Amino acid sequence: MNKSKIILSAIIGIICTILVCVMYMQFKIVEETDITGIEAAREEELQAMLSSWKTRYEEIEEKLTETQQKIAEYQEKIDSNEQASELLDEELEQTNLLVGKTNVTGEGVVVTLKNNEEKSITASDLRTLVNDLKLAGAEAISINDSRILSMTEIVDVDPYILVNEERIISPYIVKAIGNPTYLSSALSLKDSGFIDNYTKLGKTVEMEQEKNIHISAYNNSKNQLQFRYAKEVKE
Amino acid sequence: MILIAIIIGCIIGALIGMNIPTIPYTYSGYLAIAIIAALDSVFGAITSSLKRNFDMKIFISGFFVNAILAMALTYLGQKLNVDIYLAAVVVFVGRMFNNLGTIRRYYVEKLASNKIIAKAEAAIKQANEASKSNK
Repeated sequence: MNKSKIILSAIIGIICTILVCVMYMQFKIVEETDITGIEAAREEELQAMLSSWKTRYEEIEEKLTETQQKIAEYQEKIDSNEQASELLDEELEQTNLLVGKTNVTGEGVVVTLKNNEEKSITASDLRTLVNDLKLAGAEAISINDSRILSMTEIVDVDPYILVNEERIISPYIVKAIGNPTYLSSALSLKDSGFIDNYTKLGKTVEMEQEKNIHISAYNNSKNQLQFRYAKEVKE
Repeated sequence: MILIAIIIGCIIGALIGMNIPTIPYTYSGYLAIAIIAALDSVFGAITSSLKRNFDMKIFISGFFVNAILAMALTYLGQKLNVDIYLAAVVVFVGRMFNNLGTIRRYYVEKLASNKIIAKAEAAIKQANEASKSNK
C-alpha cells in the first residue's frame, strides 16, 4: 500500500462526501418545498399571479365605485322621500286641524248663553251664534266641549239641544278660537250684533275675551266620521 | 481501498446532507445544476480510468470548476432572461450518456473477450490432452 494510493482514496472519498451531501440537500429541498406555496413560486408564476390579482382588484374596485354610486342614489331618494313625507305630514296636520281632529289652543272668545226664567235658548240661537263666529273668522268652535265640525248638527230635541248627537243643557258655553278683536267686535256690533239682538229679546248672553282657550278634538265614539255614500270623483 | 473510500464518503455525505439545514427554494436551481455538473465529472473520471488515462488534477478541477461555472452561467442566464441552465443540462446529460455508453461498451467487450479467451484456453487444453494421449 503506497502513499499515493491512500491520498487518491482520501480525495475520492471527500469528493463523494461533497457530492452525496449536496444531492441529499437538494432531495430534501425538493421534498420539503410546497410547490404551491408563494415562497416557492418562480418569478414567472408570481408575475402571472400578480397580474391576475391586479385585474381582479380593478374589477372589484369598479364594482365598489358602482355600488357607491348606487348607495348615493338611494341616499338621494331617501332624502327626497323624507322631504315628501315631511310635506305629507304637514298637509296631514293642516287637514287634521281643518277637520277638527286635533286638540287646539289659542286666543279667542267664550260666549255663555243661559236659560233664564222667561226665555230659554234654542238651537237656532246657537246656530246663529256659530254662523256669526264662523263669519268672523273663527278657526275652531266648540259648544260645551263638543267640537263643531262641518257635519255637526245643532237641533232642538225638547228639552235638550242635540249637538253631535250629544244632548246638552244650559248653560251653553261656546268657545271660539280666532282673532279675538274680530270675533268680539262681530258679536258686539251695536243694534245688529248677536249680543245686542239677543239681550233685547231678553236672553242671557255673556262674552269674554280669553288668551288661552283650549278646544279638544272631535271625539265621539258613537258618531265616527265615516263616509258611506259620498265617493270621491277622480278626474 | 478506493471502493471502501467511496462507500464511507457516500455514507458520511448522506448523514451530513440529511442533517444540514435546507437552503431556500430559490437557490435549489443552482444546486441542481451543480449536482449535474459534478455527476458528469464523476462519470468522466470513471470512463477515463477505464481508458487508463485518469488524471487526479483534471478530475478535481473538472469537478469543482464545472459545478461553479454551471452555477455562474445559470445566474448569468437569469440576469439576461435566457434559460442558459437548459444548455448546461443538455451538455452535461449528453456527456453523461456518452460516458455511460463508453463504460457499458468496455464491460460488454471485456465479457465477450473473456468468453473467447476461455474458449481458446479450452481448445488448447483439448489439444494438449490429445497430444499427450498420442504419445
